[in-house]
Amino acid sequence: MPKRRDIVAIVLIVLPWTLLITVWHQSTITPLLTARKDDRRDGHSNSRNTFAFKDSCSLQNRDIVEVVRTEYVYSRPPPWSDVLPTIHIITPTYSRPVQKAELTRLANTLLHVSNLHWILVEDSQRRTTLVSRLLQDTGLNYTHLNVETPRNYKVRGDTRDPRIPRGTIQRNLALRWLRETFSVNSSQPGIVYFADDDNTYSLELFEEMRSTKRVSVWPVAFVGGLRYESPKVNTLGKVYGWKTVFDPHRPFAIDMAGFAVNLRLILSKPQAYFKLRGVKGGYQESSLLKELVTLSDLEPKAANCTKVLVWHTRTEKPVLVNEGKKGFTDSNVEI
Amino acid sequence: MATRMKLKLKTVFVLYFMVSLLGLVYALMQLGQRCDCTDHDLPKDRIISRLRGELHRLQEQMRKSEATKQPQKQPAKPSPPTIFVITPTYARLVQKAELTRLAQTFLHVAQLHWIVVEDSPHKTPLVSELLAKSGLAYTHLHMPTAKDRKLQEGDPSWLKPRGVEQRNEGLRWLREDRRAQPGGDNQQGVVYFADDDNTYSLQIFEEMRSTQRVSVWPVGLVGGMKYERPVVEAGKVVRFHTGWRPSRPFPMDMAGFAVSLKLVLANPEACFDGEAPMGFLESSFLQGLVTMDELEPKADNCSKVLVWHTRTEKPKMKREEALQAQGLGSDPAVEV
Repeated sequence: MPKRRDIVAIVLIVLPWTLLITVWHQSTITPLLTARKDDRRDGHSNSRNTFAFKDSCSLQNRDIVEVVRTEYVYSRPPPWSDVLPTIHIITPTYSRPVQKAELTRLANTLLHVSNLHWILVEDSQRRTTLVSRLLQDTGLNYTHLNVETPRNYKVRGDTRDPRIPRGTIQRNLALRWLRETFSVNSSQPGIVYFADDDNTYSLELFEEMRSTKRVSVWPVAFVGGLRYESPKVNTLGKVYGWKTVFDPHRPFAIDMAGFAVNLRLILSKPQAYFKLRGVKGGYQESSLLKELVTLSDLEPKAANCTKVLVWHTRTEKPVLVNEGKKGFTDSNVEI
Repeated sequence: MATRMKLKLKTVFVLYFMVSLLGLVYALMQLGQRCDCTDHDLPKDRIISRLRGELHRLQEQMRKSEATKQPQKQPAKPSPPTIFVITPTYARLVQKAELTRLAQTFLHVAQLHWIVVEDSPHKTPLVSELLAKSGLAYTHLHMPTAKDRKLQEGDPSWLKPRGVEQRNEGLRWLREDRRAQPGGDNQQGVVYFADDDNTYSLQIFEEMRSTQRVSVWPVGLVGGMKYERPVVEAGKVVRFHTGWRPSRPFPMDMAGFAVSLKLVLANPEACFDGEAPMGFLESSFLQGLVTMDELEPKADNCSKVLVWHTRTEKPKMKREEALQAQGLGSDPAVEV
């Protein structure tokens, strides 16, 4: 008899605790207890809308993106959304025969991206009419800046001297413009991405980078003499190294096109710029990133860095032999 | 003493039991209100619900604009003529990148039908998936080039004509497809040959839409010059401004002309001649279709450059090749 009573007692003691523990496993409860007090009203008003979303969240997202894309096929640029963070694209450019072509096809790509702000910085003494007109005709939301690279920094002719990174001064000017235009306290969320005018970008890339909280990274094709370079991501979803052959021990062995930074981070670290002098080949990106973030803070995108969404294409320099010394074609015609 | 201890134990037990029961009941109450648990996801869900609202708004706008257009459009205004773009493509490292940015351009053009012809014995999954995800109206074909006509590694690009079989296959499909659907409306259209590495502005497609027979315009960065163009006098093409072999019947690049669908269908024998000497590929096709004075000049009497013959560099793969020799090459499963 007492034995049974003991058993009953033990069961009665253990049962509620096991049930409690299984329930407590749902970690949603602890933050809920703190958040409930503030968002209670909002929670209730949205509960009808959000109730259905919990399960099919990802599906809805995909549906929405799909529908929006086909909707704006014939109306460009895509409508501005109040909800999405703005993507600020910083593109340095310089005059050469293929410039208009490159900017044209880059604009054709960017016209598909919602909430995009294109910051085009020319390497020139004055803003050229070619670029001004092109920007106006696209209908994009843009900012046109210019700064000339001093003669002793410029690349001589065609030789690619890696000690003189191209576009640095222009990118720094764009960063300064951002810091002068937006204040740290502004609530406007934004992402900053450095997009060179000859690369190729998939539309998926821009949606991946939109969720950047500090600095996000992903693979880039055709850099470092490889099919693609990518960050090494461990099973916990953290970056711990770089899958490259060219100097993998750089602090950030990544190409300019392989990362995006949250605007707030840029604004909160006003001293962070690309280093101008004494930068070894391939270290330009590190010179900025090491002021902003550490390796463990990086956010891997593109399915944990397994998909290639941006290609470091380079356009051949066109052979203009038949132009001769005086120029065969009418120089008034813009190309 | 024993009884008091016993009593104490009993109250302790009872108290403990009550407390744990209350805790459990509280937790179960939380469980019951599962919906509000999504509060911790609030920002995401808020965004989603707002996006949804915007989506509804945009759909309403579209429906409204269509509704207002409908009564005006009652007098049977035909849809703009479809532009059939024939693009030959072949597998190489930059293929996916080239097709991606080409698709991004085409997405802006209304009534465009993309005919992609692969130089391959069968359709590759890379191109199939790209086309399916592009959101464009497309036809996916394939036609391998005969081995002796194919460029080998290290051959300069001008050695053998490229894309001939593929363009002819595109024409063949178009002719067959239109024959199967008789009717005046289906003869409306424009055929344009767009290589996958060129750059196209959006204006060029609007310029070519009004083609009656064959229309022409300047092409940038081709023929060893900044641009090549037809010279127009009094609205007619009188000669061609080109630095290379101007004596050709039609000394222009593939990207510099478009043919009306009607003309293509009316001349079922017209196709590209792979045996033609270098630079005569375009002429071999156009000779049978039109004479020089019948050409329609576009792009502001051929004074504006709206398409560029850009070429993409072959990416340097020395390190990749070195790694592959060691068996440490990059994951081939990752599509580039």
